[in-house]
Amino acid sequence: MKPAPFEYHAPTSIADAVTLLARLEDEGCDAKILAGGQSLMPMLAMRVARPDALVDLRRVPGLDHIRLQDGHIAIGAMASKRAAELSELVRERQPLFHAATRLVGHQQIRNRGSVGGSFAHADPASEYPAVALVLDMEMVATGPDGERVIPAAEFFVTYMTTALEPGEILTEVRMPVLPAGTGWAIQEITRRSGDLALAGIALTLRIEAGRCTDARIAAFGIDATAVRLGEAEEALRGAAPNGESFARAGAIAAASLADPMSCIHASAEYRRHLVGTLLERALAEAAARAH
Amino acid sequence: MAIDIPTRTDQLPTSATRFIGKAVNRIEDPALVSGTVEFIDNLSLPGMLHCAILRSPHPHARITGIDVSAALELPGVEAVLTGEDVERWCDPCFTAPEGWGNYCLAVGKVRFVGEPVVAVAATSRYIAEDALELIQVEYELLAPVANPDEAMAPGAPLVFESRGTNVIQSRTYTWGEVDRVFAEADRIVTRQFRWNRVGANPTETFGCICQWDLADNSLTCRGAYQTPRFMGIGRAASLRLPANKVKIISHAQGGGFGGKGGPRGTDIAALLSRKSDGRPVKYIEDRMEYLLAGGGQSWDRYYDASLALKADGTVTGFKVRLVDDQGAGAEGYGTISAAKPLAAFTGNYRIEAAFYDLTLVATNRAPTYPYRGYGPPPHNLVLESLMDVAARELTLDPAELRRRNYIRPEQFPYTVPSGNEYDSGNYAAVLDRVLELADYKGLREAQTKARAEGRLVGIGVVSTVEPGVFDWNAYATVGVPGVGVPEGVKVAVDVFGSVTVAVGFNLQGQGQFTIAAQVVADYLGVDMNTVKVTTASTDVALPHFGQGGSRLGVAVTGAILGACEKLRQTFCRVVAHVMQTEPEQIELLDGRLQMKGAPSHGMSIAEVAGLMLSRSDLLPLGVEPCPEATFVWVSPNRNQPDDQGRCRSYLTAAAATHVVQVEIDRDTGQVKILGYYIVDDCGTRLNPANVEGQLQGGVAQGVGAALYEEYVYDPQCQPLVSTFVDYLMPTIHEVPMTVKDHIVTPSPIAPLGAKGCGEGAIHTTPAALLCAINDALAPLGLECRETPASPRRLWQLLHDKA
Repeated sequence: MKPAPFEYHAPTSIADAVTLLARLEDEGCDAKILAGGQSLMPMLAMRVARPDALVDLRRVPGLDHIRLQDGHIAIGAMASKRAAELSELVRERQPLFHAATRLVGHQQIRNRGSVGGSFAHADPASEYPAVALVLDMEMVATGPDGERVIPAAEFFVTYMTTALEPGEILTEVRMPVLPAGTGWAIQEITRRSGDLALAGIALTLRIEAGRCTDARIAAFGIDATAVRLGEAEEALRGAAPNGESFARAGAIAAASLADPMSCIHASAEYRRHLVGTLLERALAEAAARAH
Repeated sequence: MAIDIPTRTDQLPTSATRFIGKAVNRIEDPALVSGTVEFIDNLSLPGMLHCAILRSPHPHARITGIDVSAALELPGVEAVLTGEDVERWCDPCFTAPEGWGNYCLAVGKVRFVGEPVVAVAATSRYIAEDALELIQVEYELLAPVANPDEAMAPGAPLVFESRGTNVIQSRTYTWGEVDRVFAEADRIVTRQFRWNRVGANPTETFGCICQWDLADNSLTCRGAYQTPRFMGIGRAASLRLPANKVKIISHAQGGGFGGKGGPRGTDIAALLSRKSDGRPVKYIEDRMEYLLAGGGQSWDRYYDASLALKADGTVTGFKVRLVDDQGAGAEGYGTISAAKPLAAFTGNYRIEAAFYDLTLVATNRAPTYPYRGYGPPPHNLVLESLMDVAARELTLDPAELRRRNYIRPEQFPYTVPSGNEYDSGNYAAVLDRVLELADYKGLREAQTKARAEGRLVGIGVVSTVEPGVFDWNAYATVGVPGVGVPEGVKVAVDVFGSVTVAVGFNLQGQGQFTIAAQVVADYLGVDMNTVKVTTASTDVALPHFGQGGSRLGVAVTGAILGACEKLRQTFCRVVAHVMQTEPEQIELLDGRLQMKGAPSHGMSIAEVAGLMLSRSDLLPLGVEPCPEATFVWVSPNRNQPDDQGRCRSYLTAAAATHVVQVEIDRDTGQVKILGYYIVDDCGTRLNPANVEGQLQGGVAQGVGAALYEEYVYDPQCQPLVSTFVDYLMPTIHEVPMTVKDHIVTPSPIAPLGAKGCGEGAIHTTPAALLCAINDALAPLGLECRETPASPRRLWQLLHDKA
């Protein structure tokens, strides 16, 4: 379990990093960005990933902020998940993202793992992509032409593949603060604490005058990317927030899944069932928070 | 001169024990927690090379060509080893039964995915792994046999062609009038069980550094060796060396649990050293290698079993048919684990007759190895599950059914139908205590309430016997020769009165160095901090075995007591000579050799040792100037088995009853452990903290086997598990901290009355959890009879019902 040979670069500014990536690309060199290394390092050791070059961002300053800016929360791509977990701002203003963070791995992993890394890695069983879809998060990519903002709905392309171009670096993720009174929940089924989810649901729920007015729901761990569950969202609109409508939404969601993944720990059929169960439970949890 | 080994602590030459029986701090821990212990991967030798191994991607294939030329040209590569070298220089490892062993590298064909095919020694592990990618191996694929049914089908492909069959052994054992008790039974319960493959996963995988001295034609192997002497003898045989030319230096190990025993890594590193002009070669097995085909796969079993009962719940007969998938041969001694249940076949119960139909089958899965408990954990799950089925059918409380059938305290020593003799026990007292500890009545009331709410809450009450202090004779029926497993020590007092205990084994985590220091300090009346425990390499160590079979705490205690008794006798002669009296007039008490009746006349241990080493003029005739003694302990009164395998095998019989409460989530199949209670009885607790640690660790592995872990293979015999992402070792979040208490029924025959307890709760936990799960499912008329009881499996059961 030793990586195949690779070049190692540790640029000290984002500009240098972008220039370096452009040069490596021109040279036909397959470069990979190293952030916290919690997924990439094992993949290198197993020789599953064999880039020609690694560009390590840990010496690039200014990528680890967590702050309120222009009414949204901005988190630098190199901020650790542990920092996000400990951030009062995140905990109080965006509790769904906070709860999702606490479900990522174990504390040791969150100490090293970066927030940006999970978005760029785009593992469909991880929590962040689903939360990004629910919250309409924005990803800030920095490339040779400067910054561009990519909406979450366009960011996750397919299994471990994002809309980032080879010369681009994910530098920041942005999320709205949760509007007061919005219900939220994230629930997942893992084999062990800290494992990737066999299935999971992240959602927000607005309830006004005893009716569900808006539900935004994403499932993870079941397809090549996290997926919005539009039919269930639609079914909830205008429905009374009760066990009956939540069960119906769960059933609709389960039936709406095209072709859930299958693995040794969970069959497609089991995953489909879990999505229904989790949605029903998560809606109840969110409804209790909504006001 | 006969040496009596004390079986009670009040027989020690001390007015009151100061260390034995107390949870003293472990002497090995400061070095372990500060990282100063020399684990093998931390050691580098001058000129050392690093080994990487190319492994078979196929479960069964003929090797038609190997081209290593490109690898040899890679700068940094010093040697490449293939099956051709191996066939020239060594023999297949020996096995029990004989003739089911592989060479250390595949010769002619591969028999499982992960089997070593080519090995490289290079100046770094990185380069060695790069070189593997340059090696071309051509295979001609053969049809694999993926399970015992396929392996035993007429015309099945053969894993070992020369054997003419895939059946390693098939035989029956009949103990007592089995046909009669089943014919006369009022009720017979029969079930099939599938125990899927699990195994040991120590924190540290196997590793070694081997150096072949080309001038002397001798071999030195340093490494994570659990049974150094056994390993040395095996290497001498497979590498065609005289046994005194193989030296094994055992380093401290990051756990063992049975997974450290594989010989291949050592043989490969040794031959690479031989091929690279005698440079030392390090091989560190990585986790993927370990999970794929290391020593970590065990117990791949298909059971069909029946219990015969009278109407009042008296169990009269127990029949077990076991088909055990050994994988590709017997190189890992997986065969032995199917024979071990003979030591406690009928558990805690008075069952008059039993029958065992045992078939060991070779397939193209990885070879199986020992795992903590070495065989009984799945067997106990079968017996205890049948007890629960019987209790349900007879509408008896499962605790009550067990109590009615326990061997009674006055019946010990008790010979079980399968031949072993249990030394002592009080199973009803253990049960009473654990039911009280768990508030069993309260648990049942809570269950009734939960069931009324539609919740699936279940309780397991499971009793097991842990055979302690293994002996070879238990395994004679699968081809292991011999009676008596030696454990030797040397106890030496130096000129300043400090004491050194030289043992043959090294640290593995259980705390035996501390036990050794406790015993020697109490016997000689010195402080524990004056005692140093050290590991002798195999070239100078006394005959020994080391850890294994819940034996070492008891065995090393016996050995130390023997050596100390010899020292005492010598010291008495010396002191008597100096004081001009007879040795019988001198006694050892609290660290002083003194005149009986006149204790002020005497000498300390340090004074006697100093005198012996510096005043030979004062020594009596025939006493050497050597305040040291050796003793090799062996279990007393062991015997050869009869044709049905019956013998006095394991010396002690510890016992435990676990009570566990679980809840199953109907919609997800997930199991939550709500409460876990243990009462055990392992006789004298030499160090209660050690015992508790062993119990808790055994619970963790039991939780893993019952709920999480499984080496999954696909129908083509490809392993689907090669990392901890898929091999689900439970973490601290999944393992409950158990509530524990104990009963003490000292062994009347073991040193200081202590019973083997190192395997501990793994004997009991899988059965307890499965019984609790099935208790939860009972109102639905469902049963889970396959491990692990994963959410997927339980959900499928519940879903199919719905």
